[in-house]
Amino acid sequence: MINKLLIEIDRTDEAVAAYRIDPAGFVARWEAAAADPQPPYPDGGTLTDEERAAFEALDYGTLYGMGAHPFLLWHVVRAVLVSDDLDVHTLSARYIEAVSPHGHPDFAT
Amino acid sequence: MAEIVLTLGVPHTPLLWRTMQEPVPDDLAPIRSEYQRLRALLDAARPDVIVMVASDHFRQLGTSNMPAFLIGKAPIMRGTHPNEERHFGMPRVDVPGDVELASMLLGGRQLPDRFDFSFSDEPWLDHAYIIPLLYLRPELDIPVVPVNTNCNAPPLPAARRFAQLGSYLRDAITGWSDDRRVAVVGSGHLAFELGGPRQFSGGSPGPEFDRAAVTWIRDGDVDAAVAGCSFDRMLSAGNLSFQYLNFLTCLTAAGGVPATSADGVMCRFGAEPFFVWETP
Repeated sequence: MINKLLIEIDRTDEAVAAYRIDPAGFVARWEAAAADPQPPYPDGGTLTDEERAAFEALDYGTLYGMGAHPFLLWHVVRAVLVSDDLDVHTLSARYIEAVSPHGHPDFAT
Repeated sequence: MAEIVLTLGVPHTPLLWRTMQEPVPDDLAPIRSEYQRLRALLDAARPDVIVMVASDHFRQLGTSNMPAFLIGKAPIMRGTHPNEERHFGMPRVDVPGDVELASMLLGGRQLPDRFDFSFSDEPWLDHAYIIPLLYLRPELDIPVVPVNTNCNAPPLPAARRFAQLGSYLRDAITGWSDDRRVAVVGSGHLAFELGGPRQFSGGSPGPEFDRAAVTWIRDGDVDAAVAGCSFDRMLSAGNLSFQYLNFLTCLTAAGGVPATSADGVMCRFGAEPFFVWETP
C-alpha cells in the first residue's frame, strides 16, 4: 500500500499541500478511507506501524528501503520538500545520500 | 489492406519540456534535431493514425488495478495529468482517438487468441504519450490508438511478450481490410534511473546496456534483444530502464528487420533513443 499512498499524495496540488501541512493527519484520513470496505491487513489498518511512521516523517530513505517505487517516491519528495529554502539539486543530493545505502531494493508490488 | 507506413522509437523524458527551450542548450540541440528529423519523416509518411506503444507512469493505472497490456479506444482522449503540469510544466491537451482501429486490435467482441488485452474507453494519456506527440506531431491532428504496456510496476510482462505484441500488431494491421496508413510509435528509454542512487548523474547509468540495446535495434536482432532484456540486467542498467521493452514491440511491428537508423543520443539525461524503420 506504500505505492498507493504515494500516488495519492502526488495526484493533485491540494493533496500535496495537505500532506505538507499535516502529514500525520493526511495519512490518518487516507487510511480511514482506504480501509473501507476492507483493510488489506487482517489485524486492521492500511499501513504497518513502520510504514505509517515513515510517511508521517517523510523518511524517504526508509521508504526507499521498504521497496517504495523509486519514480513515485522521488516525485512525492520533490513535490513536498522543494521550497524557497531548499532547491531541487540540494534535495536530490540529500535523497541520493539517504537511498544509496539500500542499493536497489525489490520494488515489485 | 491497411499498411504500416513508418515505425519510430523515441524518448519521452518529461524534463525536456522545460529545458529544451530557446536558446536550446548545447547538449540538448542534438535531441531537438532528432525529434525534428523524425517529425519530418512522420509527416512525409502521411499516416491516417498512430498506434502508440507506451507505458503509463501510475497516472491513470495504479497498483490497485494494473493491466499488463491495455488498448485505449475512445474518440477523444485527455492528455497530461495535473501532477505532470506541476512537475514538468506540460500543457493539458486533447488527443483524437480511432475507435475502429482500437476495436479491431481488440478483436471486436472477443479478444484475439494471441493476446489477452485489457481495454479502456476512457484513456487519459500521460507524458509517455504526450511528450513524443508534442515533438513529433504538435498539431495533434492524427488520431492515436494507445497500446499501453506495464513497464513500470513489477511484475512486468516478459521481454518475449513485448516482441510477440509487435508481431501481433503487425499481423492485425496488415491483415485488416481497410486502407488506413498506420504509423507505429514506441515511447521509452535506454538505461535510465530516477528515484535511485544514480539519478541525475549527468550521464547514462548503464552505457554498456545502451550500446547493446541500440545494436539489437540496428541489427534487427529480436532474439538477442529478448535474451538481453532480463529484469535483472535492465535493473542493473537503471531502475527505470524497462521502458526499453516498448522498442522490442516496435522492432517486431516493423517486421523484425534492421532499423533504418538507430542511435542513443547523449545528453544530460543519459542516452536518448531515436529509432526509425522506414517502409520500403
